Amino acid sequence: MKKVLLALMLAAGTVHTAQAEDVLHLYNWNNYIAPETVKNFEKSCKCRVVQDYYGAMEEMLAKLAAGAKGYDVVIPTGFAIPPMIKQNLLQPLDKSKLANAKNVSPAFMNTQFDQGNKYSLPYSFSTTLVGYNDKKIKELGINPSSWAIIFDPAVLAKIKGKVTVLDDSREVFAAALMYNGYSANSTKPEEWKKAQATIIKAKPFWAAFNGQSYIKELTLGNIWVAHGYSSDMFQANIDAKAAKRNFGVAYGLQKEGNTLSLDSMVVLKTAPRPDLAAKFVNFMLDGKNASELTNMIGTGTPNAAAAPFVKPEMKQNSAVFPSAEQMKKLQQLTALEGKALRDLNRMWTQVKTAK
Amino acid sequence: MHSKQSKWLWAAALLAYAFLYVPLIIVVVYSFNDSKLNAEWVGFTFKWYDMLFKNEQMLVAARNSLLIAIVTSVCATVLGTLAGLAMHKYKLRLLPLLVLTPIAIPEILMGVSLLIFFVMLNMTLGLVSVALAHIAFCIGFVAIVVRSRLQGMDESLVEAARDLGATPVQAFRLVTMPLIMPGIIAGALMAFTLSIDDFVITFFTAGAGASTLPLQIYSMIRIAVTPEVNAVSTLLMVLTLCLILLASKLAPSALRAE
Repeated sequence: MKKVLLALMLAAGTVHTAQAEDVLHLYNWNNYIAPETVKNFEKSCKCRVVQDYYGAMEEMLAKLAAGAKGYDVVIPTGFAIPPMIKQNLLQPLDKSKLANAKNVSPAFMNTQFDQGNKYSLPYSFSTTLVGYNDKKIKELGINPSSWAIIFDPAVLAKIKGKVTVLDDSREVFAAALMYNGYSANSTKPEEWKKAQATIIKAKPFWAAFNGQSYIKELTLGNIWVAHGYSSDMFQANIDAKAAKRNFGVAYGLQKEGNTLSLDSMVVLKTAPRPDLAAKFVNFMLDGKNASELTNMIGTGTPNAAAAPFVKPEMKQNSAVFPSAEQMKKLQQLTALEGKALRDLNRMWTQVKTAK
Repeated sequence: MHSKQSKWLWAAALLAYAFLYVPLIIVVVYSFNDSKLNAEWVGFTFKWYDMLFKNEQMLVAARNSLLIAIVTSVCATVLGTLAGLAMHKYKLRLLPLLVLTPIAIPEILMGVSLLIFFVMLNMTLGLVSVALAHIAFCIGFVAIVVRSRLQGMDESLVEAARDLGATPVQAFRLVTMPLIMPGIIAGALMAFTLSIDDFVITFFTAGAGASTLPLQIYSMIRIAVTPEVNAVSTLLMVLTLCLILLASKLAPSALRAE
């Protein structure tokens, strides 16, 4: 008994001290880096990559705020960067080691969440848009490139009960604000009121608020139009093809504008291996390496040098490579606080309970 | 009248069991479904299990889970058995309270407090911190099982052994220990199961590179419940079920008293 215990403790110990060899600890979303990219990086740095995952930004922030250490690189979404900076969790990036930073398209640099990119460099983005059953929407002659497809009762009459929108107050209001020609980050109460009226008018035509299973519903053909994330629509299309459906799931940006969620790479102050972290960030900013994630899960890439390596059928997709014109209309949502947040919650409750 | 009542009782029991088991059965069925969607039956396949065994992340998580569960069950069994013996022998008011509190405390509190504690000690979170946390919350469960086994034991046997010249240690080793062995083993199996299945406490105390199966599954369902998740859940279920059956075979009285 004692011997077994000792052996196990030693085994656990060796696993533990193994961290002293060359290991990069990446704290990331699950399935958010291509396996071949990891293998190539391991070859180039002669080290191992160990990944840990979070399921939500709040989770990652909570864990790091509590003092969890041992991770080198984290890949947070825009709004999570300011609290990380405020809590002194990040170390400034040494640009001299990051020659590939020049590959990032200027439109994704210098965002409100990290002015001057002192701490973060863009990794990948997704947009919130409309995904739709290409066969049905074509048959009905509906134009999917405007938010009218989920807000205009005249259009909705043709697809009543076949539309879902995200169960996310901020995203739905942002879409309605843009449809009315306002900024997604508007702070004017009268604009919010108007957006709310738009939502309540459209609601009777919607099947549900759905943020969970719309990929499946689209793939099965139960719904024809879904408000959701671009990478999910990409997945829905792959699933529809795999299930040999007689339609595909198409998606693209809306002419009034879309919200953008940009994930960036940051290096923690407590990183055990800041040298490997810098190598990793630089490696991921290489065009070919950045393209592998886009090819795998269909996210957009902020990396201009990735274009030649992205699958041709994806290159045409505005959600993956927005034109300069469309880029101007992409907005990252700011974090709402205090009164604005309370107002939004109140208005959302009114939407939910509206007949 | 009587038979009518029992019919209703049967119906209620069946409904309750259906509510518990139908979702599990669905997961098992879909883990063999030849389609990515948990929506329609396409055909029978083993490919998700095949993918599972090729998934390196999953294998590392499984290895971590097993390693932690083994260390936890060994340590918690030794400590829990000692605690059970102490609770049985010395009728102290405070002792059961101290040993059993971790069972009653909400897991989330325990997870958060352990995390803060480990950070305070300046300990790097990893497999060791998870194992320590698991041992802490498993001791109470083992102690309960062992104590209930002791309560069902005939004390005169130990006294007889002492009368016949056995030292206290000999009496324990040759009489008490064999008699409570089923309880000890049941406790060890329980500790193993609890450790393998725990999510909340593990979530807070796991450090870089110490992901376990439940953590792995949780991070995967953020995207979509893929058949691979169904497959790994099925395997985890089968393992847990076997251990529970084994434990209840060994210490039926203890588990019934729970």
